[in-house]
Amino acid sequence: MSRSLGSGAHCIGALALYKKGQAKETTSAMTENSGKTTHFGFSEIQESEKAGKVQGVFNSVANKYDVMNDAMSMGIHRIWKDAMMDWLAPRPGQKLLDVAGGTGDISFRFLKRAGRGHATVLDLTEPMLTEGRKRAEAASMADSLDWVVGDAMALPFEDNTFDVYTISFGIRNVTVPQQALNEAYRVLRPGGRLMVLEFNQIPNEMMQKVYDLYSFNIIPRMGQLIAGDKDSYQYLVESIRQFPDQETFLGMVKKAGFENAKYRNLSMGIACLHSGWKI
Amino acid sequence: MTDAPQVFDRRMLESLVCPETHTRLEYDAEKQELVSKAANLAFPIRDGIPVMLRDEARVLD
Repeated sequence: MSRSLGSGAHCIGALALYKKGQAKETTSAMTENSGKTTHFGFSEIQESEKAGKVQGVFNSVANKYDVMNDAMSMGIHRIWKDAMMDWLAPRPGQKLLDVAGGTGDISFRFLKRAGRGHATVLDLTEPMLTEGRKRAEAASMADSLDWVVGDAMALPFEDNTFDVYTISFGIRNVTVPQQALNEAYRVLRPGGRLMVLEFNQIPNEMMQKVYDLYSFNIIPRMGQLIAGDKDSYQYLVESIRQFPDQETFLGMVKKAGFENAKYRNLSMGIACLHSGWKI
Repeated sequence: MTDAPQVFDRRMLESLVCPETHTRLEYDAEKQELVSKAANLAFPIRDGIPVMLRDEARVLD
């Protein structure tokens, strides 16, 4: 915890520069409502507000999401997603639940590797799913794909349903990540596998500084240029910085009930894979 | 858009349950809704995609 507090303080300068508008909004929300609060980027907001704000971000970026991912990560997100599949090793006939699956990136990869199988793509944001369904892969795999709008914290599936649960660059947008992990555990079958791909904290301080310079200065501008939406990409950058470090998140995976929980850093820890099994 | 209108795939009913009560749903083809009697909610289906969010559901009378 001390780590994430430290990183928050480290970025207060950036917060003051970029977030004047939102800070004001947050203050008024805090006085009206005294419920539990959560992070929205660097802003503190009511838990009840987060889902709507996250939907706003993704409604706004849906049709440029794939292009922006390529631009922001210089194509590296593809390597990370392939690394996820390497560790996951999909097998024929498996049933995947791909939460925050947005445009179908993970599900398409999974089905290609599994040969045959089934993937349910669940996302909080409708336009992300309709974008995904338009993609060529979606048409060719239509019989193996379901698209569902849903909340990671209240999944519309029975217990013990899926062989694999993935969430890729999604769990930091969930209001209470622990609750999403608990739900993952519930809907997985005994012997089922959880795999989380997320941006994490870079263990090396020098690298973190370089990364911060890039992410706080360049990414929101790219967002403006490519997607015409600087604020949404500003949120994405801040939400990455607020997310717990690898060890803290590993503890959350274990707390949900997963066994043999482990993580692997990717690209020096810019991203990270967490894996766990429901035994 | 040039896409053909998408219809709800009934096979999805086999795996979907009410996110509130985890009980089974009924498909109302006319209204394009998935009805949870246990929760007294009707979840909309839009463009073939079920929207299983509490906040988007219609409360049944």
